[in-house]
Formats: sequence, structure tokens, C-alpha cells
Amino acid sequence: MSLRVDLLEGGRIALRTLGVNRLRTLLTLTAVGIGVATLLAIVGIIQGLNGAFARQLASLGTASLNISRRPYVMTGDWWRYRNRKQLTIAQMQGLLQQSQLATAVVPEVNEDGRELTVGDESVSGVDLIGTLADFQKVWGYEVPVGRFLTDADSDAERQVAVLGSEVAERLFPGRSALGESVRLDNRPYRVIGVLGKKGQILGQSMDLLVLIPFKTFLAVYGKRDFQIDVAVDDADQLDKLEDEVVGIMRRLRSVPPGSADDFSVNRTEQLADTYRQLTSALYGVAVGVGLITLLVGGIGIMNIMLVSVRERTREIGIRRALGARRRTIVVQFLFEASLISAVGGAIGTALGLGVAKVVSLVTSLAAAVQPLTVLGGILFAATVGLIFGIWPAARAARLDPVEALRYE
Amino acid sequence: MLIKLEDIRRYYTVGTEVVHALNGVSFEVSRGEWVAIIGQSGSGKSTLMNVIGCLDTPTAGRYWLNGKDVSNMSDNELADIRNREIGFIFQTFQLLPRDTALGNVELPLIYRGLRAKERRERARHALDQVGLSNRVTHRPNELSGGQRQRVAIARALVTEPSLLLADEPTGNLDSATGLEIIGLFEQLHRQGHTICLVTHEPTLAARCPRAIRISDGLIVKDGPGPQVALENRTERARAAAT
Repeated sequence: MSLRVDLLEGGRIALRTLGVNRLRTLLTLTAVGIGVATLLAIVGIIQGLNGAFARQLASLGTASLNISRRPYVMTGDWWRYRNRKQLTIAQMQGLLQQSQLATAVVPEVNEDGRELTVGDESVSGVDLIGTLADFQKVWGYEVPVGRFLTDADSDAERQVAVLGSEVAERLFPGRSALGESVRLDNRPYRVIGVLGKKGQILGQSMDLLVLIPFKTFLAVYGKRDFQIDVAVDDADQLDKLEDEVVGIMRRLRSVPPGSADDFSVNRTEQLADTYRQLTSALYGVAVGVGLITLLVGGIGIMNIMLVSVRERTREIGIRRALGARRRTIVVQFLFEASLISAVGGAIGTALGLGVAKVVSLVTSLAAAVQPLTVLGGILFAATVGLIFGIWPAARAARLDPVEALRYE
Repeated sequence: MLIKLEDIRRYYTVGTEVVHALNGVSFEVSRGEWVAIIGQSGSGKSTLMNVIGCLDTPTAGRYWLNGKDVSNMSDNELADIRNREIGFIFQTFQLLPRDTALGNVELPLIYRGLRAKERRERARHALDQVGLSNRVTHRPNELSGGQRQRVAIARALVTEPSLLLADEPTGNLDSATGLEIIGLFEQLHRQGHTICLVTHEPTLAARCPRAIRISDGLIVKDGPGPQVALENRTERARAAAT
């Protein structure tokens, strides 16, 4: 008898049997369903996260480098970086003069976790940055309200500030911040502009910041350890720019030939790499949990199939006596196991999509499930059924027809 | 010759003990014969039936069925032989409880790979032959014992096998229904079917033209049904009177 007939008959019997033990079938496929749902929800959340991160990273302005004493991502002995010499204004000016590729060179000095107040309103956890006019060009900020900082603001050490959009919204809800006075570390600053919205990266707002003129920052905070941002026209030229910048900086900082750089050149891509490194382990664990759930479901299938084989011993005997080959019996039971699993997989897929949707609505994580994942979920479940059905099916086929016919 | 057995032996190992179920059985059955195989339980008649039905293979000896040597066939080949050459009729009917009468009769034709339309036509015809054309869509639990056995006989007939192999076909039926079924066998015999009937009931074996008595795995008597089946004159006389 042909395999085609085996499959057709196997499918027909499988469909019929599903209807017979409804409750048992339902419970079994629920187990598989939960496994698939877990896996799919996790994959959906991961896919959503990755997508959101890529989009946000792109909004950061990728055609720029950051020169700092420390790399974005520190590995190994952190104190090595602490002992490096600070960057100087002279080095920044040298870079500006000597670089052929740089379209903007701008200093940046930071203080984290500041608090801004206006009357009773206050916003904390604000990132304070002291910088110059070209900062806008390097990071691609829009200034829909007012104007950006100028180098003149810095030279005159003016007490002016440009607010991030979230800071402006929270301090001046429903009204314009322009020309108003905000207090920062007990000093008043006049608001001269508000930045356009950038959104979030990894759940962290990119709009919770305040910019003040570079020299104002130095005068108020007495901090000299700054970073230099360098922009280029085209992201494709970043490698060339990096080579050039490293050469110039080594000369300006008198690094002897053969010694390692005593500064770090950072790119936003490094953040992406770090993000991937950090999250891949997490994803591995999450997917592992999903797989274990599916394994439990698979064992459930195996159990139910073993019970089914035992219950239907006589049926197997009858079929064998009437001319069914061993293979026919194997196909019949494998079909049944796969079908239960696939139905469970379909239910689980719907459930998983629902969970992913709820997660994306309730949290700031944008969960997204690609269509291929849905198909994959069902096929994967069917495969799990197939694999866990092998042993019961083999047991069914091994039965001796004479013994099977006599089974009570 | 439809069936030819030559020194068939079947030994089982139960624990450490070797059971000699068949100790060298030889006989022949011609096409169109109706033979009863009679013996008490433990005599080896069930084993003999399993060997004749290709459900079991002999430990030693040769067995030709319809000209083919089946004693050394593979599992798959035996499955095909069962499907094509043998129609089984069991004491406990052995119907699939969830299938209709038609579905049950169709089953061997599915394994033969026939298309649905032809299967259904042939199954209907077989049910008609056993007088059940009005019970086609009934499930086994909606049928009486006699009707169930008729469905089983239809299932055996539907493949047009060369041998009908019946194992105590009246064993689960009351005597009146049993007689009906025997009547059906007589009719099939007249139509030219070859029938092997395994039983422990002398009165049933006495109705067959030929009977073979098995005891301790050996043939002890082979001859006309009444003479082999019934031990003494009075029994034979009583059987002849009924």
C-alpha cells in the first residue's frame, strides 16, 4: 500500500479520534498551546524590542564620533581609564583646525540626575549638558520653539537654557516655556528654546535633558573633564574619520609611537553591540523557558498517546489482521500526535499574539510578531507532537496482531 | 490445492519452558471445501488458525496458500496476504466500535488502496449479500449479536478472498442466531467459497463436510464431519435427526 493511502487514512482516523476524547484532547493541546504561547510572546517581545531599539538608534544621528577618556562600554580594568589625561580645549581646537573630514567639532560636559524647578513644579533625574552651537548639528536636534545655544552664549557665560521636550512639558504644562525662568542647582536660567521630541531608548527618555552654554557650565560646576563630539557628512565616512581623528589626537596628546591610545573613540553602533550582548543572554533564558514549557506539553502528548495505544490495542489488532502494515499504524498515530499538537499550536499562537499585544499596550515595550513566526509556531508545535509521538507509535506498530486481538 | 501444510511446527517459549503448540501438522484443503478444525482448548487449534491466517509464522515446516509459500514471508508481505487472500470471522466479531457497518466493511479495501467510490459500492454489495442492506449506517452497538457477525462476514467477503477463516463464529451467539449464521456459511459454501471453521463444538463440526481433529498439537482424525466430530453412534444418529 502506498504512503499516500497511509497518510490519507491516518489523517481521517486522527481527525475522528480527536472528536472522541474531547476533554482529554483539549487538556493535552492546552499544554502544548501554553508552550507555544509562551515562546511566541517572548519572541514577539524580543522582536518588538529589537525593532524599537534599531529605530531609536537611527534617530540618534549615526554620522558622529565621540572622543572621551573612557569608552561607552568599559571592559576590564576601569582604573586604566581614570588615570588617563583629560581632554583639553586646545586639543579640541587643534582637532577642529586639522581635520579635513569633520563638519563639526563640539565639546560636551555632563552632570546626571539634576533637578529643575519652576515655582512648585519640579522635574528630577534630568541630564545636564554644557555645550556649544554645533551640538545641534552633531545630534540632529530640532528646535521647534525659540533658538538653540550659540557660541556667544558660551563666551559671555550667559545663564540661559534649552530644555528637552519632556522637561518643558512637565514644568510648563499646557503653556510656553519660552522666556520663563527655571532654577537649576539654585541658579536661575532663562529658557531660550525647547528641543524636538526624540522618544525613548530601552525605556529611557531621550528628552529628559537640559542644555546650557559650555563655559557657563564650567564656571558654575568647575568641572573640566569633557568629551568631544565630531560629526561627518555621511555615515559611510565614519571609518575614515576615526582614522584621521585618532592620528590627530595622538599627535596633540604626544602619544609615543607603539603605545596604546590614551583616549577612546566611541560610536553609537557600540551601544547596539552592547545591547545585543546584554540582551542575547536574557533572550536565551527566556526562549529556554518557553522551550521547557513546550517540552512539558510534548511529554503530555506522549503520555496521552501511550494511553491511546493501550486503549486501542484491539483496534490495532483488527487493522493488522485486515492488512494494515506496521508503517500504516505508525503513520496513523504520528498523524494523531501531530494534529493534536498543531491544533494546540494554533491556539497557542493566538494566545501568544494576544499576550504580545497586551504587553505592547500596557508597557512601553513595542511587541511585534512577524507573520512567519505565526506559521513557525504552528509547524514547530506539530513537529513537537511528531517527535513525542514516535515512541507511542512505534509501540503500537510493534504489537503482535494475535496478542492485540485477544487484548481485553 | 488452496492450502498445503507440510510438517508445521510452532513452539513458544514461556519463561524457561518451551511449549509445543503444533508438533508437525500436515494436511491439504482443496478450493471450495468446507473444513472444520476441531479440538479442545489447549489442543493447538488456535495456533493452527493463526498460522493458516498468516497472523503467526511457524517455527518450522512449509505452508503454501494459493500457490504461494508464505512460511518465510516478511511482515509486510504477510499483511498483504491477509488483506488479499484471507477473510477473518472472529468469535467476538472484532468490529471497530466507532465506525458504521459500511465503514467496517470498507476497511480492508482502504488497506488495499481502492478509491472511495469503488470501496463503498463493494461494501454495500457485501452487506447486501449477508442481508444487511438496511443497516448500512448503523454502528456496532446499534446492532444485535447476529447482525454484528453478519457485518463481520460481509467484511470478510468484501475483498473476495480465497479463504474464509472463521474462529468460533457462533461462540458469542444464542443457539437460534448461531444456526442462522451456520445457514449463511452453508450458503457461502454452495456459492463456492472455501471455508475453514475452527471450533470446539462437535455439533457444529458435524455439519461440515470434512473435519480435522487436533489434540496435543497433532492431527488425530481427518474425515467426514460427523464421523470425526461425534464420538459415538448415538451422537451421530441424534445429529442426523436434527
